[in-house]
Amino acid sequence: MTPDDFDRLQSLMSSRAGFRLTRDRMKLAEHRLGPVARREGFETVDAMLASLWARPVASLGWSVIEALLNPETWFRRDRASFDTLAGELLPALGKARGGQPVRAWVAGCSTGQEAWSLAIAAQEAGAAVEIVATDLSQRALEKARSGAYTGFEIQRGLKAQTMLRWFDQAEDAWIARAELRATVHFARANLLDPPADDHRFDIIFCRHVLVDADPARRGEMLDNLERRLVDDGCLFLGPDEQPGGDSIAFRPVAGRKGLFVKSPAALRRAA
Amino acid sequence: MGVVRLSIGTRTLTPRTCLIVDDSRIIRKVARRIVEGLGFEVDEAADGSEALAFCGGVIPEVILLDWSMPVMDGLTFLRRLRALPGGLAPKVLFCTIETRAERIAEALSAGADDYVMKPFDGEILTSKFAEVGAV
Repeated sequence: MTPDDFDRLQSLMSSRAGFRLTRDRMKLAEHRLGPVARREGFETVDAMLASLWARPVASLGWSVIEALLNPETWFRRDRASFDTLAGELLPALGKARGGQPVRAWVAGCSTGQEAWSLAIAAQEAGAAVEIVATDLSQRALEKARSGAYTGFEIQRGLKAQTMLRWFDQAEDAWIARAELRATVHFARANLLDPPADDHRFDIIFCRHVLVDADPARRGEMLDNLERRLVDDGCLFLGPDEQPGGDSIAFRPVAGRKGLFVKSPAALRRAA
Repeated sequence: MGVVRLSIGTRTLTPRTCLIVDDSRIIRKVARRIVEGLGFEVDEAADGSEALAFCGGVIPEVILLDWSMPVMDGLTFLRRLRALPGGLAPKVLFCTIETRAERIAEALSAGADDYVMKPFDGEILTSKFAEVGAV
């Protein structure tokens, strides 16, 4: 991979995914693109990139983009957020919605651990939820939909008791049970795309996504999240993340790391 | 991570203790390094009867317990530990190569607080310690 190739990858990631591919990820990028090149029938990564630059962005381009996103996730990542959700938010929202299911969106769900964690938290709190979980990566979504995790993956964040309660063992995999699957719908979505309909959510989880966003695209992403959130809804970021950019859409909730609500300035869509 | 910082901050005042029970010296060494990183003072035992003798003196706050060991296995140790005075206090995490769901359920119903399937790494062990409230 030449420095020029890397520059082009950087701008591809920023323009299509809003992702900041930092220079220290050059080696990692090369490593991740090897399997993509093999899968797509190219001799080398360089040959694949040459072909990529010669044509408009199509499926090959998206395969490259997917491979360069940051897929890291685990069950109940940042436990405090899930405790706040199950102990405080779901009971309050459930009451406010008068028995209607609480609508939650996991924006940037990667391989699905966070969506299942949310589904488990809701079921154990006795709250009715409808979860939509989206990601840009089709490959990550395939795994998320399968609901199947290795022993290594399943126990990162889950107590054994929770694992036994909500997952079935099949050979070497642990697979999410039907009752859990019934509450989660996985779909592909790009956080750079403005909402095309007026479906809105009570809770949005968008954790450890903005941290990798190109600062120049962050405002758009936040604006799109804000438009999908009901006025009295909640946004969860990672505990150390800030909305940042020049966005004034959200304000932090004191004493609850990573929890944000709409700022008064963003309540412009009030009914 | 916050939890790690917190444990290091309190280490000098109240050293928390963890007993690692495994017949493999290599596993004990690997686990020790991770658990010490979480701010614990670590002791080791090579089987259940060594561990039981240790717990007759001082009961640690966390016990990382292998299942299959010579002399006394982990499940037998756990049942005897829980019958000791003060034996309900420690958080016991099974840590074994046994991964069948029914065996995991058996260990939990015998009084284990959690269960780690080998192979494991620092991230898994850290998250397990956090889930049982040990860090």
